[in-house]
Amino acid sequence: MPADVAIVGYGRTPYSRAKPGERVYTVDEYIAWAADLALQKAGMSKNDFNDQGLGVAHAEAAHTVNWSASVAETLGISPQVLIRADQGGASASAMLIRATALIRAGIIDRALIVGADTPLSIPSAAPGLPLSPERTRGPYWDFQGPFGVMGATAQFALVQMRYQHQFKLASEQLGKIAVTTRHHASLNPEAIYRKPITMQEYLDSRVLSDPIRLLDCVPIVNGGLAYIVTSAKTARTLTTKPVYLKGFGEANNYYHGSRTLPDVTTTGFAKAAPQALAMAGVKHTDIDFFEPYDDYPFVVMMTIEDWGFCRKGEGGRFVEERNLRFDGDFPLSTDGGQLSGGQPGGAIGGFMPLIEVVTQLRGEAGARQVRNAAIGASCGFGGIPYGRPGRSCVSLIFGAEA
Amino acid sequence: MLTSKTTNKPLPEITDQTRPFWTAAKSRKLVLQRCARCDTFNFHPKPWCVECGCRDLAWTEAKPTGTVYSFTISRAVAMNLPGWQGELPVLMCLIDLDDGARLYGQVVHCMPEEIKIGMRVEILFEDISEEAAIPKFRPAK
Repeated sequence: MPADVAIVGYGRTPYSRAKPGERVYTVDEYIAWAADLALQKAGMSKNDFNDQGLGVAHAEAAHTVNWSASVAETLGISPQVLIRADQGGASASAMLIRATALIRAGIIDRALIVGADTPLSIPSAAPGLPLSPERTRGPYWDFQGPFGVMGATAQFALVQMRYQHQFKLASEQLGKIAVTTRHHASLNPEAIYRKPITMQEYLDSRVLSDPIRLLDCVPIVNGGLAYIVTSAKTARTLTTKPVYLKGFGEANNYYHGSRTLPDVTTTGFAKAAPQALAMAGVKHTDIDFFEPYDDYPFVVMMTIEDWGFCRKGEGGRFVEERNLRFDGDFPLSTDGGQLSGGQPGGAIGGFMPLIEVVTQLRGEAGARQVRNAAIGASCGFGGIPYGRPGRSCVSLIFGAEA
Repeated sequence: MLTSKTTNKPLPEITDQTRPFWTAAKSRKLVLQRCARCDTFNFHPKPWCVECGCRDLAWTEAKPTGTVYSFTISRAVAMNLPGWQGELPVLMCLIDLDDGARLYGQVVHCMPEEIKIGMRVEILFEDISEEAAIPKFRPAK
């Protein structure tokens, strides 16, 4: 695709584990905070988005009717176009595709895309866990909750157990992902868990839902993120370091095999990633670093396979053989990912891989900077369908050069 | 969300769409929506057949037997109600019914170390309220 859109700014608020005594920020406050950081980075003002685009990711914290328009009101922005995504962890990436289409069509020149959530501050029936009202509504919940399904950990454990039945996978291979991302978090002042862990600590962490361990699970936080996308022409007037979108692919409600009895060991990335690679005109070996949606190391491993970095069933061995560190031959989740960085709710964590790609391609990643980073790839992965792994899969490829 | 005051576990919100399932389960029958056009069994309840889009879905009794497609042993309560605590570990499975639908279901009367993918299972029902029962499974005799 022609390099005609670029990201020119990004922002990520400090995250909170909502410990007693901490100031509790609302979703609106986090949105304004993240937007402010992104605007400062881009050298822009909120008023630059009047008559342009405003994108708002769905949050689980209770909000009002017409929520994206309400966010515009709260921020004092009068956009021509509102972009709204409710694709969970794929929302941030999906909104980039929507904004790109609008910019290319000449309808807008730029868009501010925001997302925040406060899952640790939702009144919940299960203390400390975001069992929000919308998660417990409709047949989807009625045929899971009363049956005893224990949320995402049980849902992904079922997929992983099936994978391990069909293919070879060692605990140490997934442990390597957890240990490496923690190493990256130790280099990232913004990550929530920064103390390095050892493989033995990973293996010794208690099993929550076989085969998923505590250190396989993403820690939930409150927080917000934002980015700014513009036409390439405008981008070049704003910054010497625009990050160009080179290719994208998206698959929603993907089934591998039949709809009634699908094979759950392949995700929609098997469809979305080849689209993105073809559009970008790049090969796997051209990608300098990879930012998957990492709510579980197993999801990372499946994502690597479904992108085609290796064949299905060989993801464990791939992870074992490659050096996943930021200075290795397959830099992975270079900011510490969500696993160690924290996940601001299932809907907002998806901003993180996208923003880390931009951070790396601008050369702003500090102690974890990938040397000579020119092409990076990121993923959106959102929602868990009944008995399957991911409702929305988005593959994005970015470049530092047009 | 509806919860049981006696067990502190979630209860389904029973609607006209889903009532036949819960009512049949109370009388120890498993019924699923079968498509009148293509015979596909749909689960969980859908507004039309996910295979062909036909809205003519008839609640039909399904064979009460199946095979474990996958399993996990839940050792902690997460994203659910604290009432499950007393039943841990919960053997949560994906069961492929012999009639061709897949559903989440607990396997009971089975030790955690005995559960296996491919294990043959049969249904039993457990009342969860005055109006509803859920299917569970046990190793087939």
